Amino acid sequence: MAELHIIGQIVGGTGFPQNSLFCKWGVHTGGAWRLLSGLKEGQTQVDIPQVGDMAYWSHPIDLHYATKGLQGWPKLHLQVWHQDSFGRCQLYGYGYCHVPSSPGHHRISCVTWRPLGSWQEQLAQMFVGGGPQLRSPDLIYSGADRYRLHTEAMGTVELELGVIMRHFDKYGVES
Amino acid sequence: MKDQQSSDEDPGETLKRTLKAQLQRRKKRVLERSSAQGTHVDDYDDDDVEEISTVQQRSEDEGPSEKAADPDGLSRPPTGSLRGLSSRIQHTADSQHLDDFVTRRLEEKRRAARAKVENAQPQEVSPEPASRLQSLRDRDTVTRFDRAVDPERAGRQDVPPTLSTRVKFREVARRASKGVPTAEEAYNFFTFNFEPDPQEETEKISRKRKKQKKASEGGDEEGGEDDDEQEDAEVDEGNQDEHEDQSEEAPLVRDEEGDLFVIEQSSQDFLEVKKAEYIGYRKCIQQESELLFRPSFRTVPTSIKLPENMKPRFLEDEGLYAGERPPVSLTNENILENRILKTEEGKKWFGDDGRIMALPDPIKESSTRPPLFQMEEDVDPALHTVYRKAVKSKYAYLYIAGSADPEGDYQLDVDVSGLIFSHHPLFSREHVLGARLAQLYDQYLTRQHNNLTGHLTDKLNGSRIALRNMLNVHGSQSLTPVMQQRISEYSLEVRNTRQLRDSEQEKDRTLLKNIVKVWKELKAQRDLQKYTNTPFKLYLRRENVDRASDEREYEDEILAEVVELEAESEEDYQRKLAEYKTQLEEWKLWRRKQKSKKKKKKKKKKGQAQDETEEEDEDQEASESEGPVEEGHPKPEPPEKPDFDSIEQQVREKASRIRRKPGEAILIPELSASGNITASELCPRPETARREDVTRRSLFIKILYNDKEVSRTDSRSLNSDFKVHFGQIFNLKIVNCPQSISLQVFEEIGSSCSLLAQVYIPVPEPSVLTGNGTLEEFEFSSNQRVMFDHDGVGSDVPLSFEADGSNKQTLLTSGKLSCCVSWGIGEDDVPLAPPVSQQPGGLHSGLGRLDAVTYIGASGLYDMKKIGEWATQSRLDPNDPKNGSIMQLLKLASSGEVTAPEYFRLEQLQEEFNFVTDEELERSKRFRLLRLRSQEVAEFRNYKCVPALEREVTDKVFQEYERRLKEGEEIDTRDHLDPQRARKAKQHQKIREAVINRFILAKHHFLLSDLVIEEEIPSIGILGLNLFKLAEPKRPLKPQRKERKKVTAQNLSNGDIKLLVNIIRAYDVPVRRPQSGPGQSSQTAIQGSDWLISQVQVRPFVEVSFQRTVLQTTTAEGPNPCWNEELQLPFSAPNGDYSTASLQSVKDEVFINIFDEVVYETGVTDKDKGKSIHTRVEKHWLGSVKIPFSTIYSQSRIDGTFKVNTPAVLLGYSKERSHGTNGGYDALRSLSEGAFITLFITIEPQLVPGETIREKFDSQEDEHLLQAAERFERDAARVYLDRPCITTVIDLNGKTVFITRYIKPLNPPQELLDAFPENSQEATALVARFVSLIPSLPDRVSFSGTCDLWSTCGEFLTLLAGDEEEHAVLLCNYFLSMGKKAWLIIGTAIPEGPTAYVLTYEQSRYLIWNPSSGQYYGQYDTFCPLQTVGSLVNADNVWLNIQEYTSPMTINFDVSKANLWKPFFSRSFTHPGLSSVQPEQLSYKRADKAAAADLQDSIEKILKEKIMEWRPRHPTRWNRYCTSTLKQFLPKLELSGGQDMAEGHRHELQSLLGDHRISGFPLHLPFSEIGPIIEAVHSTGVHNIQGSNVEFALAVYVHPYPNHVLSVWVYLASLVRT
Repeated sequence: MAELHIIGQIVGGTGFPQNSLFCKWGVHTGGAWRLLSGLKEGQTQVDIPQVGDMAYWSHPIDLHYATKGLQGWPKLHLQVWHQDSFGRCQLYGYGYCHVPSSPGHHRISCVTWRPLGSWQEQLAQMFVGGGPQLRSPDLIYSGADRYRLHTEAMGTVELELGVIMRHFDKYGVES
Repeated sequence: MKDQQSSDEDPGETLKRTLKAQLQRRKKRVLERSSAQGTHVDDYDDDDVEEISTVQQRSEDEGPSEKAADPDGLSRPPTGSLRGLSSRIQHTADSQHLDDFVTRRLEEKRRAARAKVENAQPQEVSPEPASRLQSLRDRDTVTRFDRAVDPERAGRQDVPPTLSTRVKFREVARRASKGVPTAEEAYNFFTFNFEPDPQEETEKISRKRKKQKKASEGGDEEGGEDDDEQEDAEVDEGNQDEHEDQSEEAPLVRDEEGDLFVIEQSSQDFLEVKKAEYIGYRKCIQQESELLFRPSFRTVPTSIKLPENMKPRFLEDEGLYAGERPPVSLTNENILENRILKTEEGKKWFGDDGRIMALPDPIKESSTRPPLFQMEEDVDPALHTVYRKAVKSKYAYLYIAGSADPEGDYQLDVDVSGLIFSHHPLFSREHVLGARLAQLYDQYLTRQHNNLTGHLTDKLNGSRIALRNMLNVHGSQSLTPVMQQRISEYSLEVRNTRQLRDSEQEKDRTLLKNIVKVWKELKAQRDLQKYTNTPFKLYLRRENVDRASDEREYEDEILAEVVELEAESEEDYQRKLAEYKTQLEEWKLWRRKQKSKKKKKKKKKKGQAQDETEEEDEDQEASESEGPVEEGHPKPEPPEKPDFDSIEQQVREKASRIRRKPGEAILIPELSASGNITASELCPRPETARREDVTRRSLFIKILYNDKEVSRTDSRSLNSDFKVHFGQIFNLKIVNCPQSISLQVFEEIGSSCSLLAQVYIPVPEPSVLTGNGTLEEFEFSSNQRVMFDHDGVGSDVPLSFEADGSNKQTLLTSGKLSCCVSWGIGEDDVPLAPPVSQQPGGLHSGLGRLDAVTYIGASGLYDMKKIGEWATQSRLDPNDPKNGSIMQLLKLASSGEVTAPEYFRLEQLQEEFNFVTDEELERSKRFRLLRLRSQEVAEFRNYKCVPALEREVTDKVFQEYERRLKEGEEIDTRDHLDPQRARKAKQHQKIREAVINRFILAKHHFLLSDLVIEEEIPSIGILGLNLFKLAEPKRPLKPQRKERKKVTAQNLSNGDIKLLVNIIRAYDVPVRRPQSGPGQSSQTAIQGSDWLISQVQVRPFVEVSFQRTVLQTTTAEGPNPCWNEELQLPFSAPNGDYSTASLQSVKDEVFINIFDEVVYETGVTDKDKGKSIHTRVEKHWLGSVKIPFSTIYSQSRIDGTFKVNTPAVLLGYSKERSHGTNGGYDALRSLSEGAFITLFITIEPQLVPGETIREKFDSQEDEHLLQAAERFERDAARVYLDRPCITTVIDLNGKTVFITRYIKPLNPPQELLDAFPENSQEATALVARFVSLIPSLPDRVSFSGTCDLWSTCGEFLTLLAGDEEEHAVLLCNYFLSMGKKAWLIIGTAIPEGPTAYVLTYEQSRYLIWNPSSGQYYGQYDTFCPLQTVGSLVNADNVWLNIQEYTSPMTINFDVSKANLWKPFFSRSFTHPGLSSVQPEQLSYKRADKAAAADLQDSIEKILKEKIMEWRPRHPTRWNRYCTSTLKQFLPKLELSGGQDMAEGHRHELQSLLGDHRISGFPLHLPFSEIGPIIEAVHSTGVHNIQGSNVEFALAVYVHPYPNHVLSVWVYLASLVRT
């Protein structure tokens, strides 16, 4: 019966090779969690910053969860996409972070990565865009044997999340 | 220095003894000094003093010792040695022995050296070399300090020798001693500064200081040495001398000390300059070799490394495991070993084999991370990456979660190989036989292949032999029970096998017989018809056998069988016998009991004892003769002895039946298709006709995926052998989850094709891939009845091959379709199959992938039992760690927890850590409320504040919602009165929900313009216009219309919105009828009194009621009143929800009622004596206009003149205008009938109407057509803004459909046509009336304004509710079927706004039909509600109005003129032949009179109750007499279609109710629900009539039309007794 509010925003992304970016996001929870209201997934607009490197989205996140257990604490997964000058979109990074478990305001920066692909793919990516994507994006948060995957580090996504917890103390969870 | 001193005083050696006293004295002085200086502790005793002195001595001593050491070995470098020495001295302070030893040796050396020098040198020379040597030796000491000695000495001796001499002397001395100068000497010679030192004093002081320093430093340490010195005091005479010297000098220094420090302090006193040092390499090496240990790199012999008397032991040789040692170079290892050996316990580092102990090589042979090229092949499928091109994101999937892959990476391969008919209507009789033969032969072949008989025979023989052997071996001995059991088992098996074999043999035999029989029939058939149709030929190959052996075998077999059977029957008999015996025993027992009972009885009788015993004896005989005396226990029958003869007989009989006779040849049938088919020319006519028919036919197969056709094969012609080969593979890229795959076999004859059969094919398992799928044969059949006049046998037709026509068979078309469905394989060998199981909802597929069961490939096995079976079958290795999880699972399953596998598999730890249970979570009312609100459930959509605490949420909140949920299941007939309607309403509701759900997502799609509002930058032109405007003259009397500001709905609340109704004027309001009817004597009085008033004819006022708020205008006078009044009505939205969607679905209507105000004088009261007149005001309803709020909302304003809906009969009023009053006006007016009212309605503030969904719907239309349609509409919208033009519409399934598909002639109900067989005009009107009686329900109300859906006529008639478009389409279709020329008009009308009307052309004039009211207007009718005509539609084309005007009066409807009407399909873009979406034919249910009567009664009851309810303070009396009269009248009204027939009726009424003043009217409504009827009755305000003597009359009539369309008449009248 404990409740959790996650209110915040996806501020923006920085450190990517190009900065005309947008972000798809989703919140993944375990079976014990019920979404009472709010959208748990979405997509930001494309921001093409004219000053500076950081693409600002300021995309709101407002979720209200009820839970019957701590298992499967919400985690946030992100996909950063790049929209090139032709309006085509290509994946720039997968990212994943936990929603903080302490109440209050948090600044989170979520690092992202993307699959590297074979050299042919890299070459193709250089010239015609596109790029390798995970066939099953679940991999972002399921801990399979990821070591075989060759990846490349991309930029970071900045998040600001406010966490409000309610009735957790009733069940012996100190915050 | 000592040397020099000692050498000085050598001559006076004799004085030594005397000097000893001086030494003592000096010691004392030193003591004093030290105490004075405070460097030493005062309480030192004598020993200490002595020590100090020795220190001094010692320090002096060093020099000579060096000097002495010097000559005897060059091996010691001067500085190093000195330092080493001193350090050693210090170091070994505690170990005295070594020290002693060294000093002694030094002493000796010194002495030796001294002796040499003494021998070689003259006395005077000696001091210089000494001093020089010392300076040389002692690097630490200051050079001047060394030199200082010389002047001092010189001063003392008064013999200052010159430098040169001194050098010379020394040179000589060296030469004398050595001959060759040493390296240092040479060095010193060149570098040394021999200048005499001027500052003796300072030197001395500094030296003194040095000494003291040294003393303090080494005081303790050199105590030992001191002792030594003292021990051999006699040896050190020189030393003592020196001491003496120093002691003499010491006071001097002391005296001067203070001054010196003060005065002469220069940098030179503290600094010393060092020379650059150089140590030769070899020396270095030497030195190092002393200090360092260099392990050798030679191999260490094993014996050293091991403890003594041990032999090296090699574990590997002993067979024990020894890991491989890490590779180390041999040298390194040797060095290490050598080093370790030197250390203490070095040997512990060595193992038994004499080598250094080492762990096995930790480095793996292969690199852990696979190289890049390797990775491509064997990577986990979850890690696969896909190269996706950069694409425009328009249709890319929106969200991450639930990412239905838009690219559809799944592929189904459907391989349609071919089909074979086992029966086809075109089969000739011969074909039928041939097919049967082929079938039998197939059966024969498979049997042959399986060879069951052979197997069983072998088995039988084997077990027989085994049994025999067993019996032979153990035959003689008595059998053990185990053996016995085995024998019985064997014999049982033999018996079973034999039975099986017999049956198989029999089958074989009959099959063979059948084949032969059919073949014979076939041959007979061929003979009969004299031609052959089928190529079948059956050969019977004979295989001769050796008769003798065959016979022997046969006999053996029979014998064996007989023996066995005998044995069996014997056994059986024995068993039965045993059974019988036990039964008999029982029976006897029972019998005895009976007897004893009897006896007891009989004893009393006494007499027949003898008989009894006899009887008993008889019983004891157990003979079969006597039956049981009493019923209950029958006496058991003894079993019969088996008849062995008959057994053999039976066996032989059977054998002859099922087996080949001995010696008979084995027949092997061989079927070949090598026969010739008679050419068609040679066949008789029917056969050729059949063959021609066959060739005409061709077959193709449609592939349906999820019941949608996705592909079809080429059509292949049917061969004469009725086999069709397709051999086509279809790759289906699928997006939707596969639910069904089916193949439809179609037969084509010429251009028409018919469905033969449909074959459903199971969706393959994900593991079935294209490579490994096998072709399977699916049987199909169809029960179509086909008959031919030629030789084809047809289908479902009885058919006989017998001559007499008996034994008829009925054959159905059937066959086998061979095909294969499998999942495709991608380029990179990735199966394009969907993941095994998509868990529903929140479970994540990632989990599924890690699931143990799916991981090992047992996909889809979620049944525990099945898993168990599977595990046992596949013999899982329980020790294999890979199978650990499944073993655990099975253990759990077997322990009985099969029922709860959910949390085992998923989140098994979850339960333990849960705060609360699921149920509790579900119970929470607050959470429920929150969730319902976020799901936008209608009741909670705009619930503003959810309480923060659980207890504040009341159950009341959910009541309504729960009730609705419950209602969903059961139809509430209470509100609807009509179960039929209720069902319709339910259906409608369902469709509505489906539509809304479909649009919920679409609502979240935004365009840029929805989100970003950009003010347009004014162009130069606009700026210019604005400038001109400034110059315009001001015209205050011509006010300009200002655009009102639009308000978005979200920030509104109750009371903010007002409905403004401006009532301007009315025309032709009915006037009061002068009560001058015949025989109205009773009313003359009133008439007389009313005369003045009634001159006015009518005093109408308008009452507007909306949401039960009623406002009225002032009363005007005359039939053409003018009010020009504005009424403001408040508006409140349901649930306080002012969102667009909610406002659009407001169903409330605005009623504008026209009343006549009638004032009656009730008479003069007596009190006031005629001064005041009491009047009673009554209002009489004259007519009304209804405007739905949704129309006002979507139109934002309604402005125009409306026809007032006046009742057909208005008692007391007449519609006739008073003649002659304004004749000129009449000419225009006569064009229409009825009253009209001019209104202006709007909403304040102006609301933004909801926009329709701009969703692009999928469509089955051709892409070209869609594009053209879009273009057409766009062009129309650009050029003609106000002309609505529709080319594509959305059907109920959410698909875009071209509009012309809706137009198709459809039959109206036959009953309507039959009503007026000869009068087509009447029939047309009736049809229009029928259409108008179907209740109208705007789409924006029913579908929350999401979009305008067009249902087909069939759907419309089923739902019985629809928009104007549906009405129009239906009417248009009816007209078309009635042979009229009809079009659909897409235009705008008042008050509906954009709508659809119907245009017909008859008798060279155009008529415009309003489908919702059923009325028609001529083209030039002024009061036609249709305002603009945008486009016309019929079944073939769409025309856009491109004329100058849009009003129907001013346009030409001739669509053939291209300059007036722009056609959609033109010569350049021809009509592609679009088929209609309408049903072939409409079927109607007959009008149900009984249901209508029921409904009529219930409506009447409800209305009466309601009226009474509305008059709470007055009694409501019903005039039964009047009611019955009205009731009779209503059906007539219905028949006349509401035409005016009032006159007669009125007269009738008047005559009946002579003494009543009556006012009333009939209301007519289409029936949908009871609510609108109540509302309409209420709005007339009849119930408001007060008065004590008022009576009411209410009559209801429901007229049924076909298909449950109902017309409701309510006649309402008030009667006042006069």
